Amino acid sequence: MATRMKLKLKTVFVLYFMVSLMGLIYALMQLGQRCDCAEHDMPKDRTISRLRGELHRLQEQMRKAEPTKLPQKLAVKPAQPTIYVITPTYTRFVQKAELTRLAQTFLHVPQLHWILVEDSPHKTPLVSGFLASSGLAYTHLHTPTPRDRKLQEGDPSWLKPRGAEQRNEGLRWLREDRRGQPGADTQLGVVYFADDDNTYSLQLFEEMRGTQRVSVWPVGLVGGMRYERPVVEGGKVVRFHTGWRPSRPFPLDMAGFAVSLKLVIANQDACFDGDAPMGFLESSFLQGLVTMDELEPKAENCTKVLVWHTRTEKPKMKREEALQKQGLGSDTAVERIKAR
Amino acid sequence: MPKRRDILAIVLIVLPWTLLITVWHQGAINPLLAARKGKSRGGGGQLHINNNKDIVEVVHTEYVYSRPPPWSDVLPTLHVVTPTYSRPVQKAELTRLANTFLHVPNLHWILVEDSPRRTPLVTRLLRETSQNYTHLNVETPRNYKLRGDTRDPRIPRGTMQRNLALRWLRETFSSNNRHSQPGIVYFADDDNTYSLELFEEMRSTRKVSVWPVAFVGGLRYESPKVNTLGKVYGWKTVFDPHRPFAIDMAGFAVNLHLILFKPQAYFKLRGVKGGYQESSLLRELVTLNDLEPKAANCTKVLVWHTRTEKPVLVNEGEKGFTDSNVEI
Repeated sequence: MATRMKLKLKTVFVLYFMVSLMGLIYALMQLGQRCDCAEHDMPKDRTISRLRGELHRLQEQMRKAEPTKLPQKLAVKPAQPTIYVITPTYTRFVQKAELTRLAQTFLHVPQLHWILVEDSPHKTPLVSGFLASSGLAYTHLHTPTPRDRKLQEGDPSWLKPRGAEQRNEGLRWLREDRRGQPGADTQLGVVYFADDDNTYSLQLFEEMRGTQRVSVWPVGLVGGMRYERPVVEGGKVVRFHTGWRPSRPFPLDMAGFAVSLKLVIANQDACFDGDAPMGFLESSFLQGLVTMDELEPKAENCTKVLVWHTRTEKPKMKREEALQKQGLGSDTAVERIKAR
Repeated sequence: MPKRRDILAIVLIVLPWTLLITVWHQGAINPLLAARKGKSRGGGGQLHINNNKDIVEVVHTEYVYSRPPPWSDVLPTLHVVTPTYSRPVQKAELTRLANTFLHVPNLHWILVEDSPRRTPLVTRLLRETSQNYTHLNVETPRNYKLRGDTRDPRIPRGTMQRNLALRWLRETFSSNNRHSQPGIVYFADDDNTYSLELFEEMRSTRKVSVWPVAFVGGLRYESPKVNTLGKVYGWKTVFDPHRPFAIDMAGFAVNLHLILFKPQAYFKLRGVKGGYQESSLLRELVTLNDLEPKAANCTKVLVWHTRTEKPVLVNEGEKGFTDSNVEI
C-alpha cells in the first residue's frame, strides 16, 4: 500500500515538474518577443505604438526627401550668407514668452545664427535652458548694463536707450569669432539687430540676405505712426519719412536696417553709444559706417512693411503681490517668468 | 538514494518560484528593451565646443522649413479657432501666430474676423502663408448709443466669432461618421504666445483637457488643482475660484466628437459675468471629473496670455501722415 501511494505521489510530482518546466521554457521564449497587444487590449498603449509608428514613417519620409534637396542647394548656392541676429534681452515676466515666439519665427529662416545677449552679470538658467532646446544655432552671451544707464522702476521706456551694451557685446563677439576664422567665405554674412518684442515676417530675412553695405526698409508701428520708412527715388534713399525728429542723421529704428558682416569687421570700432540722446542710438552706430546715398533700399523700394515694432504689455500682478504678502504666492518653481 | 530524492524535492520547490519571477520580470523588461531600441536620433545635432570661451554653439541641421509638416492621416487634427478684429497690430499678431502654427503638424486654422466682410488684409495674409485654413467672418453688433467703434459691451469680445466657428465645425463634420479623422478644438486668441509643446499635449484630448496659463487673473499663472489620482478637483486662482470652470480661454481644448455630440453647446452671448465665459461653454460639455490634466499634471506653463500694447499713433495727426495705401 505504501509503495503504491509513493508511486502515485511520485507521478504527481513528476507531472508537476514537467508542467513547471514547460511553463518556464514558454516564458523564456516570450521574453524579448514583440507583444501581440491583442490580449492586453490597452487602448492607450495601442495609440502610443500606433503614433510611434506613424512618427517613424513621417521621419523616414522627411529623411528621404532631404537627399533630393541637398544636391539642389549645393548646385545653386554654394554659400548662402548667414544672418547674424543680435538680440539683447533682460529678465522680466514676459521674457520666456517673447523668446519663445521669436524662436518660432527664426526656426523658419535658413542659415540664421542667433546671438542672444542677456543684460545680466551671469547667464540665467531660464535662457540657457531655453536656448538649448530651441533647435536654433545660437551664441549665448551676457553683459550687465551699468547702473547709471539702467532704467529704474517707474521710468518711462524712452528715458534711456536700452540694449546698447548688449549689442556692442554681440558685435565684439562676432568680430573676435571671425578673426579666428580667416577666409573670404567667413566674411559673408549680414548682421541684424532684432529686439525680443518685435514681430518679424519671414520675407524680411530673405530681403536682408543680399546686403552689401547697409540695407534699409520700413518699420511698422514706430515713431508714433503707422510706419516709418526711407523715401526712395531713383533706387536711392533721399530722405526719411518719419514724424519724430527727422533731422537725425539716420532717423531709423533698430529693426529697420541690416549691416553686412564685411562692413562690421572692416570697422572694428563702430559700436552703439550708450550715452547718445534719445533716438540717436542707431545714428551713433551707422554714422561711421555709411552715408545716406550708399543705403540699399529693400522691401520693394521701401513700400512694404515686413517688420513691426510691437511692444508687449506688462502683465498686472496685483493679486500675485497680494498673495505673496500672505505667503501664498504661485509656485515659483514653475518656470516661465521671473520678476525683476 | 536519499540524496537524489532530496535534490529532486529541492528542484521541485524552487521551480515554480523561478517561473513566477520570470513572468513578473517579463512585464518590466519588455518596455525597457523597446525604449532602448527607439532612442534613435532624429534631426542630426552637432556640438561644437569653443575652447577659448565657455560658449557652446549648437548647430542643428535641416530643421528649417516654411511649409507646414506633411499632413498625417493618423494624427488628430487640431482645429484652432482664432477670432480677430482690425486694428493697427492685427497683421503683426497674425504674422507671428502663423509663424508659430507653421511648425505644428495637422493644424487647421479657423480665423474668424469681427467684420461685415472678409478683409483683404487677412485674405492676403492667409493666402500667402501655406497654412491649412478656413476664413470666416461675423460682425458683433455695435451699440450705437456709445462711441462708433466700440463693440457692444455686454457681449464679450470674440464670442460671436467663436460660436460661428463652432457652428461651422458642426456643419462641416457630421457626427455620424465616427471613424472620420479625430479632431481637437482649441480657442487661440491672436495676441497670446503658444509653445509648440502645448499642441502635442492637447492632441491626446479625449473629452476636455486643461493646463496652466501664465499672466491671467492677476497672477504669474492660473492652474487647475490636480490630486494624486490625476483628477482635477479645483482651481488655483485668486479671482473667483468658485467659478464652475475658473480657466482662461487658452487653458483648455475640447475633443471634436464632444462638440458634435452636444450640438447645443455654445458660448453664452449675453448676461455673462466677467470670467464666466469659458464656464458657459464647458458646463454644457463636461463635468469637473471628466477633465484631463496635461502639461505634467498641470505643473508646466506652455501658454502665456501676453497682451500687445496699443501703439500710440500721435504723430499721424488728423489727416494721417503716412500713406494709407501701405498696409501694416
